[in-house]
Amino acid sequence: MKFKLIAIMAFTLLMIGCAEVETKMQAYPKMYSPTEKPVSMLVVPVINKTTAAEASDLINATLTVPFADSGYYVLPISIVSDIFKREGIVEGSQILGLPASVFKTNFGADSVLYITINKWDTNYIVIAANVTVGMSYVLVSTADNSVLWSYDQEIAVSTSPQSSGFILLDIVQTAINTALTDYIPIARQVNAAAVVTIPYGKYHPQVGQDGDMEVVLKNSREKALEQTD
Amino acid sequence: MSKKLIVILFLATLVSACSTVSPGGYYWGKYSYSYHELIKNPSTKSRTAHQETLLDIIAESQEKSLRVPPGIHAELGNILAFNNQTAAAVSEFNKEVELYPESKVFIERLLSGLPKRSEET
Repeated sequence: MKFKLIAIMAFTLLMIGCAEVETKMQAYPKMYSPTEKPVSMLVVPVINKTTAAEASDLINATLTVPFADSGYYVLPISIVSDIFKREGIVEGSQILGLPASVFKTNFGADSVLYITINKWDTNYIVIAANVTVGMSYVLVSTADNSVLWSYDQEIAVSTSPQSSGFILLDIVQTAINTALTDYIPIARQVNAAAVVTIPYGKYHPQVGQDGDMEVVLKNSREKALEQTD
Repeated sequence: MSKKLIVILFLATLVSACSTVSPGGYYWGKYSYSYHELIKNPSTKSRTAHQETLLDIIAESQEKSLRVPPGIHAELGNILAFNNQTAAAVSEFNKEVELYPESKVFIERLLSGLPKRSEET
């Protein structure tokens, strides 16, 4: 009887254990290879699978900061997207078939970042509002088309203004932010959450020292690859 | 009297909170906001506002002895080029390459798209 209970408990533990966590180094070995590690990153137009048309612009406007903060040279998105527009490309799905090497020749980029917005649902509950955002990020090498980094995540972010810890400050902040810009902090949080798993790049003070950080959910790493196919 | 002090202290907190340094060691100012406005409503007004953000980022970074974030000089150069201020644009593009050598191919592409005779307008 007791044995059965232990067996059940052990099995349950095993199931929980299936949410396998990897270190950055285990998950993304190429990002630590001196020859394969990218320095520059080209962000191609976002693929938006949702009905929220405004989501693409919001994500676009908030991408440079977290990736540059992670130590990468992000080619200026405003200029890059103008170049794509002139070529008739406004949606990421239009270039999925292109080999990544095209971006090496034309932009000198070491890597290309493909982003898919899978979900952008706004929910209102009596006392609070939140938006559930599902995103996948895949970073591909322009040298050989191999995947350098990938991550998929779904997070719910409160749309109530981000608290600064000071109520008075919050009120003023809200007054300043009202009108059109409410979603910027949310988009920022979504992107900031994803870059937690990317190994630090050349311009980060701790480059090369984050290999044993256990922050990568294996499922999320693999799921991102299914989304872009 | 003390009420006034609180207001001043509060404003000081607000101002300092607005110019913080990011986790990567950069100063970004209002970057996301003015850029978002520019893509949402492209106009002379939003372009000028974004240009001011870029100038603020460069000035603040220098003041705080920080590296100017990736792409800022290039974006400023691009706006200057759009306004036909070619010589100033070239200068900004060159600063980008100096700061970030990996931008060379990209910046050369931008330079080659500029009018040949560089005259300040």
